[in-house]
Amino acid sequence: MSELLAFDQVTAGYGDAVVLDRMSFSLEAGKSLAILGRNGVGKTTLLETLMGHTRVMSGSIRWNGQDITRMPSHRRARSGLGWVPQEREVFPSLTVEENLTVVATPGPWNLKRVYELFPRLQERRSNYGNQLSGGEQQMLAIGRALMTNPKLLLLDEPMEGLAPIIVEELALVVKLLCESEGLASVVVEQHPVLTLSMTHHAIVLERGQVVHAGHSQALAEDTHLLHGLLGVGQRPQPSRPSMDAPAGYTLLPQGA
Amino acid sequence: MGIVIFDGIAYGMLLFLIAVGLSVTMGLMSFVNLAHGAFAMIGGYAAVTAMNQFGLGFFPALVASFVAAALVGGVLEFTLYRRLYRAHPLDQVLLSIGLVFVSVAVFTYFFGPTIQAFSPPESLTGSMSLMGLEVGRYRLFLIVCGFAILAGLLLVLNRTRYGAMVRAAVDNQRVARGTGIHVQRLFFLTFAFGCGLAGLGGALSLGILGLEPSFALKYLIFFLIVVCVGGAGTIIGPFVAALLVGIVDVAGKYYLPELGAFLIYVFMVITLLVRPNGLIPRKGL
Repeated sequence: MSELLAFDQVTAGYGDAVVLDRMSFSLEAGKSLAILGRNGVGKTTLLETLMGHTRVMSGSIRWNGQDITRMPSHRRARSGLGWVPQEREVFPSLTVEENLTVVATPGPWNLKRVYELFPRLQERRSNYGNQLSGGEQQMLAIGRALMTNPKLLLLDEPMEGLAPIIVEELALVVKLLCESEGLASVVVEQHPVLTLSMTHHAIVLERGQVVHAGHSQALAEDTHLLHGLLGVGQRPQPSRPSMDAPAGYTLLPQGA
Repeated sequence: MGIVIFDGIAYGMLLFLIAVGLSVTMGLMSFVNLAHGAFAMIGGYAAVTAMNQFGLGFFPALVASFVAAALVGGVLEFTLYRRLYRAHPLDQVLLSIGLVFVSVAVFTYFFGPTIQAFSPPESLTGSMSLMGLEVGRYRLFLIVCGFAILAGLLLVLNRTRYGAMVRAAVDNQRVARGTGIHVQRLFFLTFAFGCGLAGLGGALSLGILGLEPSFALKYLIFFLIVVCVGGAGTIIGPFVAALLVGIVDVAGKYYLPELGAFLIYVFMVITLLVRPNGLIPRKGL
């Protein structure tokens, strides 16, 4: 498989503050990546750097065969980076439908297909962004990213603050997108168990550097390593939510 | 009473036309552009020049005023303003107030310090009867213009994709960029358009206010009050605020001549105490 995304010795941060310290990793096309780590290790900064919202002091970022280290944010988004920001950040003064159409670019994903994926959004199409529940906002943020017809989804703490049932459904959607659409994701999360079950590869960050890189499944099974890296997973985890879709399952249940 | 309100509304419409561009600049780009009145002044002088030098009619001169102010606004956005979008507001204030002084000097040099002669076209002079009131035709024309432009702006902002992009960028610039919206180009177009509207307002003000080189400074406070009281970043907010400021100002000068000039400040202080984000803050604030 060919390389889709690579950080090469990237040092980046805000103003003079360095958050990512000579960070390197790469991602193959079609593979999902979990980015794990404790609070404040640079997980969100990594995505912000990928989207061009931080100051890159040295190193380079390659995306889809192109050096994008100095590319403006909006061109990165148009080149196929589908960003789902932390805290959703849907546009509050736009309706649900406008939130989707305002960023639309031609491609396989359109309004109809996003509504098929999230029927709840169609029901609330005329509501404004600030009139939605947390789960609906997250669906909208993912739908908005899909409307840009991305080659890779970037999910920044997508499960934060959501009810467990919504978390399961969203995780299922992310998995389905990868399996049936070939749309892989980069998932930044605090909680490793679910995230590892959604992804192929994982990297663990500490103080702005990659301290572990490997297969998600291997990491999920190695509770000692997981505990050492993240301070979790010492006890055997309670049975984790099954992420396997029932046969023929393509959409969320109505009214999710 | 009726005529005071009518004149107040007409004056308010002028303030709205000029200030609405400022509302968008301050709301969208968070740029404190004190030079906004200078663009109104450019429009006013462009209209005067078009009529007096080139013999154009009043209505073509209005078009010229919009084009001239939008062009100058576009050039200045490209050369100066965009460098200071992320700067401290004090730097923005210094740059824009500097531009005000430059504009005052430039217009004094070319047009002299005196008030420009202006005579409205035949069709807009005199008065007519409207629902039992003898109203000035020119003021009636201003009110019609104000409503037409309000309707046009609301239509563009709420019903077009361009409008949705502007609202998205006002809501959250970082996310707008990160989802593929070309915010810089949006700023350029919107800034130039806002300047054009100010220019149009400046040209329309010829029949009500006198046009002289200190115009940009003299009325600046009114534009800022309209935007602050109305709520930056919206269209309806400045509209309502401009009408209220216009009515309060005209009524104050009419009924309480010795206090009149202070009334709008009292009005502003009270409104901001009650509604610190403006009369109609934008959604999500």
